[in-house]
Amino acid sequence: MDEVDKILIHSLRQTGTDVGKDVQSVKHFTSELIVEAVVRCLRVIDPALGSGLCPSLPPGMSARFRVGMSLAQACQDLGYKGEIGYQTFLYSNEPEIRSLLMFLVEKLPRESAEASDQPAGKSALLQKSIAAQIKAQLALPWLSPSCRLPLLCKTQNPGPSHSFHSQTLSLPHCLKVPGKRQLKGKPQNTQDPQENDYHRDFLPPVTAQPSQHASVPASLLEQHAGELSAAQEWENEWNSQGLLSRLTPEEYRSRKRARLQKRIEEQLRTAAQTRPDTLGAHGSGSDLTELLQSFGGSPLIGDILAKGTRFTHTEKFTFTEEPEKAAKQMAAAANSLPSSHQSEEDLQARQQEELASLQQQLQQLSLSLEEVGGDMRQLTVSIHQVSDELKQKELSNTEEEDSVRVKKQTIYLLPDGENNLAKLQALVEGSAERVVNLAAQWEKHRAPLIDEHRRLKELCSNQAMESSRKLSEIKELHEKISQSAEEAKKKEGLYKQLITEFENLPKDISRSAYTARILEIVGNIRKQKEEITKILSDTKELQKEINSLTGKLDRTFAVTDELVFKDAKKDESVRKSYKYLAALHENCTQLIQTIEDTGTIMREIRDLEEQIETENGKKTVSNLEKILEDYKAIRQENSALAAKIREA
Amino acid sequence: MELSESVQKGLQSLADATFFDMKTFSVFIEVAFRSLLSAHADRSVLDQPEFKRLDQKLLKHCHTAATTCILEGVKQNADKSTISACLEDVGFDAERTEVFYTTYQKCRSDLETLLSSLGRCPPHINDVSWRLEYCIKNGHVHKVNEPSYLISLNVENANNGGSSEDLHFSCTMEQLQDLVGKMKDAAKSLEKATQL
Repeated sequence: MDEVDKILIHSLRQTGTDVGKDVQSVKHFTSELIVEAVVRCLRVIDPALGSGLCPSLPPGMSARFRVGMSLAQACQDLGYKGEIGYQTFLYSNEPEIRSLLMFLVEKLPRESAEASDQPAGKSALLQKSIAAQIKAQLALPWLSPSCRLPLLCKTQNPGPSHSFHSQTLSLPHCLKVPGKRQLKGKPQNTQDPQENDYHRDFLPPVTAQPSQHASVPASLLEQHAGELSAAQEWENEWNSQGLLSRLTPEEYRSRKRARLQKRIEEQLRTAAQTRPDTLGAHGSGSDLTELLQSFGGSPLIGDILAKGTRFTHTEKFTFTEEPEKAAKQMAAAANSLPSSHQSEEDLQARQQEELASLQQQLQQLSLSLEEVGGDMRQLTVSIHQVSDELKQKELSNTEEEDSVRVKKQTIYLLPDGENNLAKLQALVEGSAERVVNLAAQWEKHRAPLIDEHRRLKELCSNQAMESSRKLSEIKELHEKISQSAEEAKKKEGLYKQLITEFENLPKDISRSAYTARILEIVGNIRKQKEEITKILSDTKELQKEINSLTGKLDRTFAVTDELVFKDAKKDESVRKSYKYLAALHENCTQLIQTIEDTGTIMREIRDLEEQIETENGKKTVSNLEKILEDYKAIRQENSALAAKIREA
Repeated sequence: MELSESVQKGLQSLADATFFDMKTFSVFIEVAFRSLLSAHADRSVLDQPEFKRLDQKLLKHCHTAATTCILEGVKQNADKSTISACLEDVGFDAERTEVFYTTYQKCRSDLETLLSSLGRCPPHINDVSWRLEYCIKNGHVHKVNEPSYLISLNVENANNGGSSEDLHFSCTMEQLQDLVGKMKDAAKSLEKATQL
């Protein structure tokens, strides 16, 4: 009972009831305390129900009565099955109060233990740690820079002073993994020996490479992040597309490289060809073609030059003519140089004239070129037509030759008409037979080949199915792996978090003590149950024995009685022994009866003693006194109210 | 803590006793930490006598791997269990992990300062001095009769290594009230953030 009371009092204190420190058990609860406890519990359980009730007991008797009735009603609404009324609160007794409080405490909603069981997500964790940090920093006083201790410098100095500037680092490749087994077939030392020497002897260590020492951490972190993200990209791509293509990783990579190279070439080629039509673009055009030459082989460049459009041809024509013209002009200019005392305007005018004439020539040439081109096209078209006609004529020629030959033969064979006809028929029959023969042979050959073909096709499709099934299995495994890795990470994080939470939890109530005690009680109850069953079985056995003995007794007595009665008629001593027998039997029955009665009476005594104890606990006498007093108080109130009414 | 493949290979070489015995290993760890924390770039940091017999390429590769691993650890504020798990994955035995971790703990706060010095930050206000002025009249208006505040904020500049500057401005009383109100709001929201 102590334990129960302690738990009850603790829970009541948690609902906000002000249970004094010296109140150790439910026995000491006063009516006010009971009312307050019940109202606060009701408020927690069901705010709607408990909001209308007041935790303190009003002084007036009728008001108290009303409060008691409403509390009783509320408890019954909640589902309390025991007998409850205003008397439970005003004139309380221990067992009723205990059961009522236990019912209410059980109804109290479980603390949001469920809610806090849910592990906080990452963002909530982050916010919590941010809040903790801010709190810690707010707790430190701010000091001016001149009196700042180094410890405070970290949080109170102005923060970052270097910007994140990373430089590409040059790393030595050292892919030989030291180990007992050699790497198979991967000669990575296909490095340039000069590069090797440079890496070994001259390359400065990584922390000395950036130009500013402050960029060392930035560069290292950037480099590492780049490597990690490249690895992850490759993982993703391989898992999604690489496996589908059923190639080894190296093949996939080389194919991808070739594809990308082709795309770049195409882009550059189109860019080189759609160069704008000013003369000044020659230089960049030829540079680009040189670049393209270094990408692919010369056949590509041959293609470009051969497929050149009219434009490039015109450009080339003009370009080839240009140097001659330029040379001529240079000669002319050189000739005109000695007469250098001519005025500036003359020179400029002459230059303008030359320019105009040159442009005219250019236009003329381009016109003529166009004409020539047009003529060429026409001629080529006519050439095509003529060659087509020629082909057709040849075809018809051969046909006619054939028919002529056939007619000649028939004319030759005509004179000896019937013989030749018979011979021809025989020939025809012979060739027909031969055809049939050959067809049969062909069939003989064809059948096994077709079977072979079918078998191989089946094999192929089976293999394709197998590989697709394996692919799907691999994908599933990948997914499972990633899922379990994620789960493992989540669980580890959860574990760490729960450990920290557990360490922060208050340790006032020791759970293990309670659980140990509960287990003890369970063991005790089990033992008691065993004992009870033993006792019950013993009792049953005894009862059976008693029944059998009583039966035996009756039968023996009946038999003896008859026997003796038979002899009693004749013999006097037998009659006396018969009387003694009867008396003995009666006395024994009486004894047995007395014993049974004693047993019953003892049981009744025990029951009555229990009842006495419970009644004693109910403190009925004090309650009766209280009731009498309250009754008197109510009568006084009634009379006062009646008097007031009469006065008014 | 995730490490890329080349860093893991470098650490594996570092764990191998055929390349690095314990003494060489401890010297190497010291050198690695020192190269990160020193104020100036030192090209000869790997020219220790103990490293003479090692392949220089391997040495540089391990140096890169070790420094990257250290920086990643400090960046993620890794605790002992994470670092030990990571090192054991690449093959470090318990002794080497212990050596690494003790040096890491020693230099941890310096490394944190080093990493937290990357970034940008606006200047800090250290001090405020104010002057109240009252304008009676000026050349355009005969009667002005307005007070205004002249405020100068003493600022500590992060970028110039802690030099302090002054920021001067003037404002009317309403503007100053507005400014003070906004600063109070900021302080309150900071306190609210601690209660999450």
